[in-house]
Order: sequence, then C-alpha cells, then structure tokens
Amino acid sequence: MAAADTPAERTMFVRKATGLVKGWSVFDAFIYSAFAINLMALGFGYAFTGVAVFPTGGLIAAIVLSGLFIVFEVITYASLIAVMPRAGGDYVWQSRVFGGGVGFVLAATGWWFILWHWVPIYANILILEFIQPILNVLGENGTSTFHAAWWNPVHGTGIFVASLATAAIATIVVSIGMRNYARFQKMCFYGAILGLLVMLALFLFHSKADFAAAFNRQTDIYGSHDPNAYGKTVAAAHSAGVQYKGYGAFPLRATLLLVPFMLFYNLWPNWGATLYGEVRGASDFRKNIYAMGGALLFTTVVVVITFAAMAHAMGYTFYGILSGEYWASVTNAPTYWFPYPGMLAAMFIHNGFLQIVLLLLLSLWFFGWAGSVFLSSTRVIFAAAFDRILPEWAAKVDDRTHVPVAALLLMLLPSIPISYLYAYNSNFYGYTLDATVVIAITYFGTTLSAIILPWRRRDIYKASPIAKYELAGIPLVTISGVVFAAFLAFCGYKWFSNDSYGINHSNSLKYMAVLYLIAIAIYVASRIVRRREGIDLGMINSEIPVE
Amino acid sequence: MRVFFATDIHGSETCWRKFLNSGTHYKADVMILGGDMTGKALVPVIHDGGDGWHGTLQEQRRELHGEDAVVAFEQDVIRRGYYPFRTTPDELAELEADSDRLDDLFHSHMLGTVERWMQMAEEKLAGQPQRMFVCPGNDDQFEVDAILAAAKRVELAEGRVVDIDGFQMASTGWANPTPWHTYREEPEDVLLERIRAVTGNLTVPHERVILNLHCPPYGSGLDDAPGLDEDLKPKHGGHAPEPVGSKAVRQAIEETRPVLSLHGHIHEARGHTRIGGTLCINPGSAYEQGDLMGALIDLNGSKVKNFVLTSG
Repeated sequence: MAAADTPAERTMFVRKATGLVKGWSVFDAFIYSAFAINLMALGFGYAFTGVAVFPTGGLIAAIVLSGLFIVFEVITYASLIAVMPRAGGDYVWQSRVFGGGVGFVLAATGWWFILWHWVPIYANILILEFIQPILNVLGENGTSTFHAAWWNPVHGTGIFVASLATAAIATIVVSIGMRNYARFQKMCFYGAILGLLVMLALFLFHSKADFAAAFNRQTDIYGSHDPNAYGKTVAAAHSAGVQYKGYGAFPLRATLLLVPFMLFYNLWPNWGATLYGEVRGASDFRKNIYAMGGALLFTTVVVVITFAAMAHAMGYTFYGILSGEYWASVTNAPTYWFPYPGMLAAMFIHNGFLQIVLLLLLSLWFFGWAGSVFLSSTRVIFAAAFDRILPEWAAKVDDRTHVPVAALLLMLLPSIPISYLYAYNSNFYGYTLDATVVIAITYFGTTLSAIILPWRRRDIYKASPIAKYELAGIPLVTISGVVFAAFLAFCGYKWFSNDSYGINHSNSLKYMAVLYLIAIAIYVASRIVRRREGIDLGMINSEIPVE
Repeated sequence: MRVFFATDIHGSETCWRKFLNSGTHYKADVMILGGDMTGKALVPVIHDGGDGWHGTLQEQRRELHGEDAVVAFEQDVIRRGYYPFRTTPDELAELEADSDRLDDLFHSHMLGTVERWMQMAEEKLAGQPQRMFVCPGNDDQFEVDAILAAAKRVELAEGRVVDIDGFQMASTGWANPTPWHTYREEPEDVLLERIRAVTGNLTVPHERVILNLHCPPYGSGLDDAPGLDEDLKPKHGGHAPEPVGSKAVRQAIEETRPVLSLHGHIHEARGHTRIGGTLCINPGSAYEQGDLMGALIDLNGSKVKNFVLTSG
C-alpha cells in the first residue's frame, strides 16, 4: 500500500490515495507562460514600438530592467499558489484576504469586463502580424476599398472583421475544452519556435546591404520601384528630428520611461501558473518559479537576441524608425511598414510561397495564444457564480458538449458591440487605452493581499511550504510583494502622469471608473438580493473557530 | 432545515475541529461529512540522540531540540493532515524494508485518529441539538465504519437511508475505479447496483430525497481533475482538466431525481450544477491549508430554498 518518496532518508510515506499525482511538467507550464508573455504578439506587436514614443530611452535596457522587476511578480504569485492553490486565482486570493467585495470588483474588472476590450486589441495584432503581411506577399497594396480596410488596424471594417475573427477563435478554444486547447497550443509552440529560428537565421545570414536591397525591392508592391526606399526612410527620420539610442544604451531616466511600456508584454507570466498540487510541499513552489521565471528569462533572452540579429541585418535604429512610422513621429518615409520582424525577415526570401510558410509559422505565436482572451475570464465568472455573487446560470455547462455556455456568452456578446464601437466610433478607441492598467490594478490588489497574507491569514501561511522563506525575519512573499507593488505603483504613476503613454486620457479614466462602478453595483445588488433570499454573502469567507 | 456539508478533510485536525464548530457557526441543524476523512501521509520524526530530533515537512527539514520543539513540529504535521510518528534511524530503515509493518503503522494512525476525533465530537457537541452524519469515502479503510457506528455523537451514513426532518438521505462513499486502487471503488455497473440497493429503501417522494454520494456525477463539471498520463503525472502542466466522475452516480441522480445531491472526491472541482431538477454540489477541499470548504443549504418543504458555498 505505502510507497517511498525519495531514495535517501525517508521524509514521508504516502499511501495509495486519490489525487496523489506525481509532479507536473515544468516545461508544459513554461509553454503557457511563454505564450502569455508573447514576445511576438505582445512584444513586437506593440510594446517594443514604444521606443518611438521615448526615443532617447534604451529599449533593450528597458526590456531587461522590466523583466528583472517581473521576477518579483513571479515570486509573489508562486507564493500565493503555494499558500492557497485554488482555481480562481486572483479572485480567490483577494476574496480570502480582503473579503468577497474587493475580490469580486477587482477580478470582475481585471479578468472579465476589460477582456471584452482586449478583443479588438488582439485583432489589431492579428492585422499587423498576419493579415497585412500575407496581403503584402500576395501583392495586395491596399489601393482598393477592400484592401485599404486592412491597412488601418485601429478604425474601420478591417479591425471589426478581425475582432469578430478573434472572438470566434476564442469561442472555439473555450468550446473545445482545455485538453484539446493544450494539445493545440503545444503544437503551435513548436511551430512558432521553428518560425522564430528561421527568422533569426535570415537576419543573421544577411547583411545590411542585403536588407536595404530587399527593402527597396518590396516597394514594387506599391507599383513603383524605389531603389533607395531604405535610405529615404532613414532620411525621413533624420528630417523629423528623430534619433534613437544604440542597442546597448542605458540612459537611466529615459529608459525608466520606457519600462511601463514593456508591461504590455511581460506582465503576464502568471497566466501559466499551475494551481494544483497535494502532499507536495516546496517543490511545487519552486516548479512554478521555474516555469514562470523560465518563460520570463527565455522570452527576455530571445527578444534581446532577436534585436541583436535585426541590428546585424538592418541596423538597430531602423527598428525605431519603422516604429516611428507606426506612431506617426516619422511621416515622410516613401513606404509604410509596421516593424513586424516576421515580415522584415520574409523580405529576404525571393519565393512568395516560402514567405507565406514563414509568416504562417510565425502566426502561430498569435493563434496559439488568441484563446486566452476568454479562457481565464470564464474561470472567474464560474468562481463568482459558485460564490453566489452571480446568478446560478452563469456557471451553467451544457450537458452534452460540456461547453460553459453562459460564461462564454458573457464574454462573447459584450465583446461584439465593444469591437464595433472600437472600429467605428472614433471616440471609443480612446476609452480602451486603459486596458493594461485595469489588469495591473487587479494584480496590484492581489499583490497587496500577498504582502499582508502572513499576518491576515497567519494559520494558512504558517501551514504552507513557503513559511520558511524569510529574509531578515521578513517573509519572502511580503518582500517580493512590496517590490512588485512598488514597481506597479511606479508604472501607474507614469501612466497617469505622462500623456505620452496615451493612458492619461480623461475619457478613458471615466470609462474605467464606470467599469468599476458596474462591478460594485453587481456586488451590492447581489448582496441585497441574496440577503432577501436568506443568504448572507459575508458568510462565504467567515472563518470557523478552530477551538 | 439548514444543512452544512463538507467533505474530504483527509486527516486535517484543523478541518475536523472546524467541522465540529460549523453547526454553531453557521446555525446549521444538520452537519454532514461526505467522506475521505483519513490522512494520506506519515511523517517520521527521527531521534538523533539526546534531545535532538529532526523531521521534514513540505520538503523542508527542521532540526528539533527538546520535547516542546518536537510537539510543535508534530502539531504542524497534524494540522497539514498528515500523521507524525516518532522513530529512530534504525527503525526507519526497518520500516522501509517491511511494507506490511508500514501498512500496520498507517492503519493504526488512521484508525486511532478517527477514534480520537469521535471522542472530540462527543465532548464538543454534548448538549447541542445538531445531528451529525459521516459517510466514509473511497480513501477510508473499512474499519472506519465500525468506529463511526460505535460513536455516540456521530451517525454512520454509509449504505443507509436516514430520516432528516421530513427528508431522507441515501449515502455511499464508494466510487468508480481510480488510478490509485483505493479501498472503496468498483466498476460502474457494480457501483450503480450498490447505489440502487440504497436508494431502493427510500420511502419519500423524490423531491424530499437527498443523495450523499462521495463521487461526483460524470461530466458535471464537479468532476474535473487534471488529466494524468500513465505515470500519474498531470498532463499539460495541470492545465487540462478532464471529467473523471462516475457515470453510475449520474444515472442514479437521473433515476432518483433528488432535490439535492452532495459530492466530494475531486478537491479541485468546487462548484454546483443542476442535473434535471437536482441541485448537485461539490464544495471542494483545501484540507492542507486548514480551510474547511463547505456548502450551506437551506431546505424548505420540498425544495432547496437557497444555498451557498463557504470557505471557513
């Protein structure tokens, strides 16, 4: 019946009992985290172009520096999982430490409402990194009305159609279930890595002259070959007065301004955290650190290498110049190219079919990740329904297909009108600029709960495998939480005090406030309704005396 | 009538103590413990000579000096749901080589703890009006039943129909086969017959029936556990849950159409759902953290008036 756990001195004997599984694979969890801090979709799809907003900052330094601070997020979340390994994540941790009201409001805004607004943001990336490059290769230059729609990734029919496609992908992912999605994502990871390696090889095995020639040749799709498009693009940046720092530059103040931009891509390693584990102890804590931290390290190193390879092939500052075109600080270039490295690498290939193969491989960074826009949200909706804050039907699962129909509809249906407004209402786009901030605020709440956890839930903390981790008598989870909270506070201060991030926008702040008010209204209404039914929601988390 | 239901406390003394207090805390009339009350692990506390001892909990070795330190460590082990035992390096080596002796040690700790818990219940609930039912689960050895049956303040529910304030509750802790080959598991068809044998004794209309079946119904969402490979390692980093519940339990619910069906077994699958008109609940378990996950259900006439999942 009993079995040993280690070949050395036996520290524990476990019997055959339900749920005593062996350790999960760090690599599998690593894949989830690596997709969450998606270097291609979120990094090259938006965050790194921030160098055009703060051209005097050191982009590589900002990437590394922000990654160092995210390490503390990894430690904080791995600690919370070790203490309270529960599905429901932020909602459960905040509820158990602060109470159900705070937990619901922060989780509903940060993991549910705001994800509606991420659908058109995902769609924006789909256009920039998949649709536009494919149309480029096919020679579609955007002169017709249909093609022109795809050349505006923010407004119009292109972004609306792409948003519908994104919502459809996410709906399919939720519908096929996590097991099938996990298989699909793993296949996507291998394909995406293959595409990445080919892309890096293309950059490394070509010279700047090769790139300039390839770049000039691409102007053919606009109908008039420009033999010096590369030179004219560089000149356009000079005439606009835009000068970028070099690859290894680290001007501290300007780089610190770039750091909040980087959170758009690397704030999310905790999406890969594994919340299960029984009779395991500190090893699962360490494994979550290895999985999330490994993904953070891997992604940061690959990004740094990718920029080095791009610098070798096209000149480091040329990436900034193309980003300047995207942010409209460089306006007189002969052509417009979003600085998607996949397309820039594909320029070296003289065969359209092979170009498309490369672009398809690299698009797996998007397609392997797109489902995440709804996946975590459905879990939070379930957790809130189980706590009776949301109606019972919100957790309804179809008997035959096992699809969480109601939770899925609560994500899908609002995302469509929001995508429509995003695409066709010029004011609404501005309302969505706080999409990252709202989630960061939820993380901030979770981090505060982690900081006080050793005192607020002392018994649970003391019984956890991380209780022994201290520095100078202070719990590690508190130290990591304080550092991460301070980092988030710094980024928040910058976001709300510097207009350059596009976040300190009065309409966006008002809109964000409305989202919080809706969450508060749902919670208050729920408490009133449940009290009339004879249920005190405050009872959910009230601790039973032990003695 | 207010029912408090918890399950799968797996040797956690903290959870048991909380369960004993739950009736008062939640103003419940009936308390039901759904099964799997025995622990899963033995932790040796090893004598190093003199007043020196050491032990390892959650993969962290602790050097212990003096009786107070040893007792404190043992309490930490007990709170976690494991059983501490004092030993020497030589005895430990012998134990490793003798699986029968190890089994005996497990049995004595599991049964000894259950006996002690029944004594605690008798003392704690003396003079209190609540009824308390316990139904062993698939992880509980059969000898547990006799201890529960002999307890003065706790009523054994396994294999019985019991009357509760106008309702009848039919219970079993048996489950469909698991990869761990536990005490109370059997093929689905046999399990269905076992459940039918119990529900056949029901004498009230279906809307006044409560099923207390340890294993959750298949495909209900209350049975989602991480998918495992042949080596019992969670697939896909534990991110891909699969339904592992019982089809027999589901069929029994569909046939019996009770007003309420109580389940446990899958700790991660905390939640509630409906099968037909039956409210099915799995409150989940967080016994290692000393959190007593539960469900509070108000029954009124022939319906569930309201319910809420708790984390106490």
